[in-house]
Amino acid sequence: MNQDIDIKKVRLNCYRQSKVPGEFMLQMRVPGGMVDAKYLASIEHIAKTWGDGNFHFGTRQTFDITGIKYEDIPAVNAYLEDYIKEVDAALCGVDMDTVAHEPRDWDPQSGYPTIGARNITACIGNYHCICGNCNTFELARKIEPIIFPSHYHIKINIAGCPNDCNKAHLCDFGIIGVAKMVYHPERCLGCGACVRACEKGATRVLSLNKDTYKIDKDPCCCVGCGECVRACPASAWTRRETKFYRVILGGRTGRQTPRTGKMFLNWATEEVVLGVLKNWQKFSAWVMDYKPEYLHGGHLIDRAGYKKFKEIILDGVELNPECLVAEDIFWHETEYRSNFNVKPIAMHQTAGPRE
Amino acid sequence: MGYSLTAVQAQQVLDAIRKDYRVYAPKRFPKQGRYSDTDVVRYAEVERLEDIVWQVKSDYPAKEVLSPIQQAVFYFTEDEYRASKGPNKPILILARPCDINAQEIQAKIYAGNGGYDDYYYQRMRDAVKFAVMDCNDGDDTCFCCSMGSNRAEGYALALRFSENGLACTVEDETFAPYFEGMPRAEYTHRFVEKNALEVTPPDLSDKAVRLALKSHPMWKEFNARCTSCGSCTVACSTCTCFTTRDVIYGDNPEVGERRRVTDSCQIAGFDQMALQGELRPTAGDRMRYKVLHKFHDYKARFGDRHMCVGCGRCIHRCPEHISIAATVNKMSGAVEDILASQAQEGR
Repeated sequence: MNQDIDIKKVRLNCYRQSKVPGEFMLQMRVPGGMVDAKYLASIEHIAKTWGDGNFHFGTRQTFDITGIKYEDIPAVNAYLEDYIKEVDAALCGVDMDTVAHEPRDWDPQSGYPTIGARNITACIGNYHCICGNCNTFELARKIEPIIFPSHYHIKINIAGCPNDCNKAHLCDFGIIGVAKMVYHPERCLGCGACVRACEKGATRVLSLNKDTYKIDKDPCCCVGCGECVRACPASAWTRRETKFYRVILGGRTGRQTPRTGKMFLNWATEEVVLGVLKNWQKFSAWVMDYKPEYLHGGHLIDRAGYKKFKEIILDGVELNPECLVAEDIFWHETEYRSNFNVKPIAMHQTAGPRE
Repeated sequence: MGYSLTAVQAQQVLDAIRKDYRVYAPKRFPKQGRYSDTDVVRYAEVERLEDIVWQVKSDYPAKEVLSPIQQAVFYFTEDEYRASKGPNKPILILARPCDINAQEIQAKIYAGNGGYDDYYYQRMRDAVKFAVMDCNDGDDTCFCCSMGSNRAEGYALALRFSENGLACTVEDETFAPYFEGMPRAEYTHRFVEKNALEVTPPDLSDKAVRLALKSHPMWKEFNARCTSCGSCTVACSTCTCFTTRDVIYGDNPEVGERRRVTDSCQIAGFDQMALQGELRPTAGDRMRYKVLHKFHDYKARFGDRHMCVGCGRCIHRCPEHISIAATVNKMSGAVEDILASQAQEGR
């Protein structure tokens, strides 16, 4: 292999460098992890024609195709035109002729314009799952045009219920579908099935009132999972029609300070979640002085501080009356090296526009 | 007398009937189902024609109108009490033949059983007339034909809804005035005559067979499968079990209300005796009790029919996908095993 390759440029095009010189792995976006199964034929075609014949499920639910030779990238990109147009442009309504909402012509034969704003992952949600409280991939498809294409990085994971199989707690912006329940005492047998379900599977907020044989609830600590609805034999618990979401902020893995995300919003409507995400580019741009770096969202919040983040991200967002917002967030990081943050002041990161 | 009505005309008839009757029909409750973004169809008073769900079978049975899940029986103050008020208007229930047949069964249990009429059921039943609805061939959980409840009798109206309106006959002449001036048309109500699902309850007249069936291993399957939630009996068209509860209104224990609330033989503790254990401590025991009650005991006591109308709602509502039809057919298999082993023993 004797080639002059701009690795970073290829990466922005969604091709990852291989340990085999001159080979790359394509990462195809699958917003919400759900597309028509007909595209499996496209993956097979790419893998058999230009790749090494293998296929890997990307950890962020991308279709990953290994062993693509550098010189074949233009041919693969040309082939990707239909997939990108059908999935990102048509299905999700992404304006491909923009980057971070600024006009930028996209050559449809040139593949993905940015790697920033990573593929939005989702569990199968209420499209299939008996536990799910929301349609996860439909939400992902609404978020995709807000965050992509962009050079600002954000990892969004959507989980259909608080069981969080999709690990909303381990990404920059984790969205969890929650339900607010309505109790219909006139349909309640007083059997206690919901009490046991909540105790076994959730936060133990229900109890059987021995005077009335009806259910008492501590609404403060309800996680909104809907296990009570599933357990009830008589539909005495139902979910409110309005869908609500919990947003878990600043989770991450990594070599320095991995941490679980903490609750930022609770009981937010879809409109609020989308409104907040619309401010993401603005926040990222402000922190990095309008010069995108290859840096993920959680680190930007670290640089700006949560209160500054909150100020920018909630700007102009009208919160629904049920919505609760974290006044402050106290993350608990795994410090591989103790007092990791204590260092010469010249090494400190800064945020915001510079002179 | 037959009629063919447009949706507008059908609404006019409904409005006219509603002046004298409270009309109950299956109604859709959007997104109130067990799982997210699923609906529940259950009985409720209807005002608008489009509220009537005729396309699919309701999740819950028509019995909820006659014997609601929770019902005030009487109110008490010190040594005085007053019975709760009965229906203030006659009631018309739009129901399918399974639900109408189920009321014959419920009436037997509530009225005259043990020489006692249940006052609260009877006053409701006396106020109710039925309008039979076309089944649109039913669905894959229906087995009314196997249980002889595919046809109904004694209904006031027969109705077939469609996207365009309503075809109907008036059987009870007191309803004729509500249809005055409406366009006449021949209409013959059609009952389902065959279901895809067929159930053949076994002959359990032999006591030795029944005793052997009671301890047959087939019931053990349900210890692992059934969660004893009671969804099947709440959804059952014929189940009548209830419990009574006294609710004290405030800090004065002499003022309150006696209620009756639906109960279920499938829920643990249903048969708990004072200072004793339960008679049927496992899910398998409870399933056996329910199935034998429905497919033997009731008929043995009342004679004419089994206590199941084949509405299939218990199958539809079971979160564990336990089918009463499959269970009865398994029971038939178990009875064959028992008869074969009895023959081998040269009984």
